Amino acid sequence: MRSNLKLALLLAACSTLSACQPKTEDTPANAAPSEIVIGATIPLSGALAGFGSFQKWGYEHAVAQINAAGGLRIEGTVRKVRLVIRDDRSDANVAAANIDTLVSAEHAVALLGSCTPPLVIAASLAAERNATPIVSGCAPLMSFRAAKQWQWAWDLFFNEPELAEAPFKAWRDLDVASNHRIVILHDNGADGTVVGGQLWPAMAERYGYTVVANLEFPTDTTDFNASVQQAHRAGADILMVDAVTPQMVSIRKQLASAGYTPKVLVMEKGAEPTQFAEAVGPLADGVMVGGYWDASFSHAGAAELAAAYSAETQHTVSQHIADSYTAARVLLDAIGSAGSLDKLKLNTAIAATDSVYPVGPVKFAADHTAALSIAELQWQSGQTRLIWPLSPQSAAFVSPAAALATATAH
Amino acid sequence: MPLPDLNALLQALLTGVLIGSLFALAALGLSLVVGVIRIVNLMHGELVVLGAYAAYALVQLTGLNPLLLAPVAALLVALLGWPIERYILQPVVRHGTEAPLLTTFALSIILQNLLVYCAGGDTRALESGLGARRVGSGALGAPVIYLIGALLALCVCAAVHLLITRTDFGRRIRASAEQPDAAAIVGVAVRSYYARTFMLAAGVAGLGGALLGMVFSFTPSSGVEFLLTGFAVVVLGGVGSVKGTLLGGVALGVVESLGATLFGDGYRLFIGLLAFLVFLTLRPQGLFGRSA
Repeated sequence: MRSNLKLALLLAACSTLSACQPKTEDTPANAAPSEIVIGATIPLSGALAGFGSFQKWGYEHAVAQINAAGGLRIEGTVRKVRLVIRDDRSDANVAAANIDTLVSAEHAVALLGSCTPPLVIAASLAAERNATPIVSGCAPLMSFRAAKQWQWAWDLFFNEPELAEAPFKAWRDLDVASNHRIVILHDNGADGTVVGGQLWPAMAERYGYTVVANLEFPTDTTDFNASVQQAHRAGADILMVDAVTPQMVSIRKQLASAGYTPKVLVMEKGAEPTQFAEAVGPLADGVMVGGYWDASFSHAGAAELAAAYSAETQHTVSQHIADSYTAARVLLDAIGSAGSLDKLKLNTAIAATDSVYPVGPVKFAADHTAALSIAELQWQSGQTRLIWPLSPQSAAFVSPAAALATATAH
Repeated sequence: MPLPDLNALLQALLTGVLIGSLFALAALGLSLVVGVIRIVNLMHGELVVLGAYAAYALVQLTGLNPLLLAPVAALLVALLGWPIERYILQPVVRHGTEAPLLTTFALSIILQNLLVYCAGGDTRALESGLGARRVGSGALGAPVIYLIGALLALCVCAAVHLLITRTDFGRRIRASAEQPDAAAIVGVAVRSYYARTFMLAAGVAGLGGALLGMVFSFTPSSGVEFLLTGFAVVVLGGVGSVKGTLLGGVALGVVESLGATLFGDGYRLFIGLLAFLVFLTLRPQGLFGRSA
């Protein structure tokens, strides 16, 4: 029995690494010669699945639009595009393995990336090894840039310093009253460490706030009672959290359990997907989260994209449909303008991208990144509303306590 | 690093006891299966998660409070336990101890994938409406849902303990566990009692999952975490001991909670597992286990 227990513990540990067999969608054994195969690895399960569902829709919608218009002209022949999606299970090793399979077995000529720096960078490194272009739309740019000087990988998203600064600018412009005391909770992942560990404290100092506690936790933590109690005791009006969705759900529930409702609650990254609001219900209301897109943005196609998503899925729109759709369109437009499936020509065409897409203008810098502008969103009545920058379309800031009282009254 | 005050430590102690009781409930099924059927059930974590998902599905279906639906979710998971034990585990038990171990490992992966397929990979949580209600003063108190969960855990552990030690059913289960051949000779349907034990274990795991889903969030892959916690609780308490499982769960909860208060939530698991290793060095058979 004792040896069995040892084997059991080993297998249990291995099960987190095994990641089983990644699920593949739309994968006939071999592509018809007339098809253009695009591969994508996205998190359809695991901690980041909340992002993956939007990415899947964005990628598929872009491909469906191109196919509905007839396809892409390659060396004089119009060809349909086939998108092969593999689930990376929110695991960087699986994301890398997916890229190898997509290139070697599915013969993908170009790739679309996953979400968050660990997955995007792992997939991008694999794409570089395979000398195949990959466009991602879900990895903050500093983390992406820091990994290496990319040759085949491209990323369009926001810059972490701009995201970190946005709440401070919003409080200043919206005249949000507080005691200027901040508690920061952040995970020890790549972007959590950068945003929560370095950028928020620096921005707090710049804007005249005091960080009274800065608590780091591993990305697999589920019980935050000690941190919540410590934050409560610190008497901060502002709580800023950077974590993925499962952790964010637990933190929001445990804040409520501890009877701690800060006047301002910023929950970066994990509070962004609709699944967060579905999981915590009215507790989502009043939570601020950084964003880079809203259906009310004036970029061409923004409103139409949101309308198409709502009509097809009957779900609340997320900004992730915009970056994933745009990433796919950038890649497809590059294939179209290259007029060839030669990977080097495709890569050159991606580098030349300079257009306005639903997510905003996209033009890659020499370091292979394209920065999106930042906005502040807030969950209000179960939906994210744009609260900053101020515009005729933006909603007023609501404190979590007031938002919760309104939601409960309804 | 400033030391937390007495109130903070008392709060950590209280939270640890309450959360630890839930750990115990979730681990009880694992203890029963290891102690009675002699199978190290690697799909136990998935049975816990299945309880949470069953409660979630029932809430979507009926709109009722998950607290009311938790027993129904437990029953559904228990019913699933019977065919698993009868048709998948029993045939492989005769081939030694490794075969059922690997079978449960395979089943855990299959269940995870089925959950992803049926329910999606999104993060879920159960909203009981009691998460934000507290009992006690501001400095020292507990959410109502934690208290209800701990009370239920205590009741279920007591009921299972009485069932195993004071009833004819329990006597037959113990006979099947300790001397299966002798029990069979005197007319105990050993295989049938194994299946019933597995059902009971699955049901208790399902109930634990539904309650944990009201306190934490869950995804199809959350089972591994529950399994590792379950192993720690069972080994701490002593394999097959209901009392030991309860005490093991509470002990782990308290150690983790105090450790997190002193060193931060990032060290919660580390402190818990460190204490677990130290304890095992001193008392390898666990709190209520028999020494070899």
